[in-house]
Amino acid sequence: MTTEQRTEGGLDLSWLDLYDEPTSSTPSKKGMTLADINLGRYSSEARGEGDMTFRLRGAIPRPNAQRFGPNYQSKADVWAENCLMLYEEAVQRQWSSARDIPWDTLEPLPDDIERAMCQLCTMLTEVEFIAGDVPGQWLPFVSAQDYEAGLFLMTQIMDEARHTDVFRKRALANGGGLLAQGAGLGLRTLIEARDFTEMSVLMHVQAEGFVQSMFRMGELIGKTEADKRIFRMSAQDESRHLAFGVMHLKYVLDTQPERREEIHHYLDKAEGDAAGGGSGDVTFPPVFEALCILLGGGKDKFDEGVQKFLLLRKRQVNEYLHRLEVAGLGDRRQRVGPLLRQFVDAA
Amino acid sequence: MSEAQAAASQTTVEIPQEARDRARELGWEDGLIELALETGHSLQEIWQALRAGVTGEQAKLFLSRGSRVVRPDFWWMRVPTEWGIRARPSDPQMGLTIGDIMIGTYGDVPDVWTNRSEIARGCWPNPIVEDMGYTIFEKAIVWADCVVPLYEIAIRDRWAAATDLPWNTLEPLPTDIERAICQFLTEQSERAYFESVMWGSWLPQISYGFIEMKLFISTVIFDLARHSEAFRKRALSNGGGLGLQAPTDYNRVVKEARTFPELAAVLFVQDSMLLTLFKHGDALAQNQLEQKLYSLVARDRERLMQYQVERLKHFLFKMPDRREEQNLYFNKAESRIAKEWRDPAVSEPLAILLGGGKENIEEGRRKLLALRKRQIEEYVENLRRATFERKNLNGRLLAFLEEAEKAGV
Repeated sequence: MTTEQRTEGGLDLSWLDLYDEPTSSTPSKKGMTLADINLGRYSSEARGEGDMTFRLRGAIPRPNAQRFGPNYQSKADVWAENCLMLYEEAVQRQWSSARDIPWDTLEPLPDDIERAMCQLCTMLTEVEFIAGDVPGQWLPFVSAQDYEAGLFLMTQIMDEARHTDVFRKRALANGGGLLAQGAGLGLRTLIEARDFTEMSVLMHVQAEGFVQSMFRMGELIGKTEADKRIFRMSAQDESRHLAFGVMHLKYVLDTQPERREEIHHYLDKAEGDAAGGGSGDVTFPPVFEALCILLGGGKDKFDEGVQKFLLLRKRQVNEYLHRLEVAGLGDRRQRVGPLLRQFVDAA
Repeated sequence: MSEAQAAASQTTVEIPQEARDRARELGWEDGLIELALETGHSLQEIWQALRAGVTGEQAKLFLSRGSRVVRPDFWWMRVPTEWGIRARPSDPQMGLTIGDIMIGTYGDVPDVWTNRSEIARGCWPNPIVEDMGYTIFEKAIVWADCVVPLYEIAIRDRWAAATDLPWNTLEPLPTDIERAICQFLTEQSERAYFESVMWGSWLPQISYGFIEMKLFISTVIFDLARHSEAFRKRALSNGGGLGLQAPTDYNRVVKEARTFPELAAVLFVQDSMLLTLFKHGDALAQNQLEQKLYSLVARDRERLMQYQVERLKHFLFKMPDRREEQNLYFNKAESRIAKEWRDPAVSEPLAILLGGGKENIEEGRRKLLALRKRQIEEYVENLRRATFERKNLNGRLLAFLEEAEKAGV
């Protein structure tokens, strides 16, 4: 077909003749989902070769299309089998930090508890800030052939914006304020990743996994209904990011098993740095101390808090290893870094 | 042999080099880590002590007393940030907004943000942190006051393509009409996706000083994702499919932007043109679903345009010496957009839709010319609202106005 511009007064209309596969998706019980339109030559299974343009999967290429710079050519580099479902779930489960948190349930807390909560929120707003930047950094490298993976990352950016905002709001809503900045908290490792899978394993699986394990202890950490709700809602979002990461890793290991040692190498580095937590590194003293105060129930119950903190670390590390096992990296258990190894349950 | 040295020769736990290096910095004598392990402390506790800056002398004293936990001094509780903030919703309908928490020093958005880390604006800085690689530190480059309310409005007005559009009302359309819709939406789906990618790719350049702007742009990224998704769904739901990919001239200019002001200026042109297009979506829509879809897209795009206008206005006010430079970017973008408007796969589907079928395409072309004229006029007006007088529109764009005049539309 021609892509020449029409002549004065003339018509081309050759674009009308491109439809050799009429497609009529029908909505399912959940409405018209990405899965419902994942049909025929438009489906993720029918992914063709990328062309470094932003031509969406299934669209007809223009012979004169310019390239936009390198992006991943192999599906395994960015794909997760659950990304269609996760995208729809993300769209359906958006929430509002302004209206879905019962801010009116906040009540004055003892000074040490309020300060500890504010310190934790200071750390979390920083962490979530980076977690929004990282997918943005990778969007141009995702081929439009793997369109839904790109869409999923866009929802993640929105989720992380909401988390950045909700923790900032919480710090400023109950007579407190922001406190001490974190000490990097391993966040640089997320920005430094030079490969999508490296980024995903470090951010989605490790860092967000550690954060998720912490959020799921929100009933213990939060002292008001508002606090507990914040952790619950955020955990719901983190679950999606984590699910993407686990399934991406699984896809890589299933289709490119030769990358196993390379992935171990990324984890060796990350687990060797500090406590190996990336954004889930809760061992920075202000964060560690704040968590111990919150978990223990006050500064005077710090020792009790330390014990619960150690349980949290145990939970973080074992859930992390379990997720890696689900993804097909069960041998990580034998190779986990020394700072994490002490928390590993016997197999 | 000291107690520490003796312990060092016996321990079997692998001690990370990083912990040893930190211990050395703090003056821990060799073997003290092993001694701590020997006396029942976990590596985690030792690491905690190292991160807290416990000196070798303190560690030794602590171990000699047989204590279990290093008693912290909670220095972070005493940092001199602004304390006692109790933000409350100013509008109960909207809830606790980011506008409501812009109080005291937390509401100060500095003209120049100097911290190179990911520090949250208003918290107490750590004196030694790594540079996180941000490149945008000037408020004038990215800021518009409207981002504060627009962020919450975007969240309030969210919609879902899967469930908020009446998919069951779709009915078969004449082939030429259906294919025109599919071609139009193939192009628009790609444009929306690409624009989302571009905004996203600039996020890591912007520092936390302008967090409210980044939050708003995140909603834009999400909006555009949904637009792309909804357009694709519509193209694949009524007997059609995807057509020819979008032309690449305009998008390449977006991709080639070297700075944020250039990116914003180039996108300004398309954002304005597409807003006008979707505001007139009723003229293109063939059914209830498309009417609703285009109106929702237009509503989302109104917010983006508001940001674009206010950002440019603020930028020009703060950096008047960069006013003339903007003409270069507008000119480039206008040229590429106008070139793409001449592409048959861009113009003919619109003409068919506006005319009501292939047989009425001449009438449709006339209507399209009127729409192009309106797009250009509203674009010029949007620039004017941003205090920018575009005296010499690009010739390719101007040609549409001349044709419209000649055709009497």
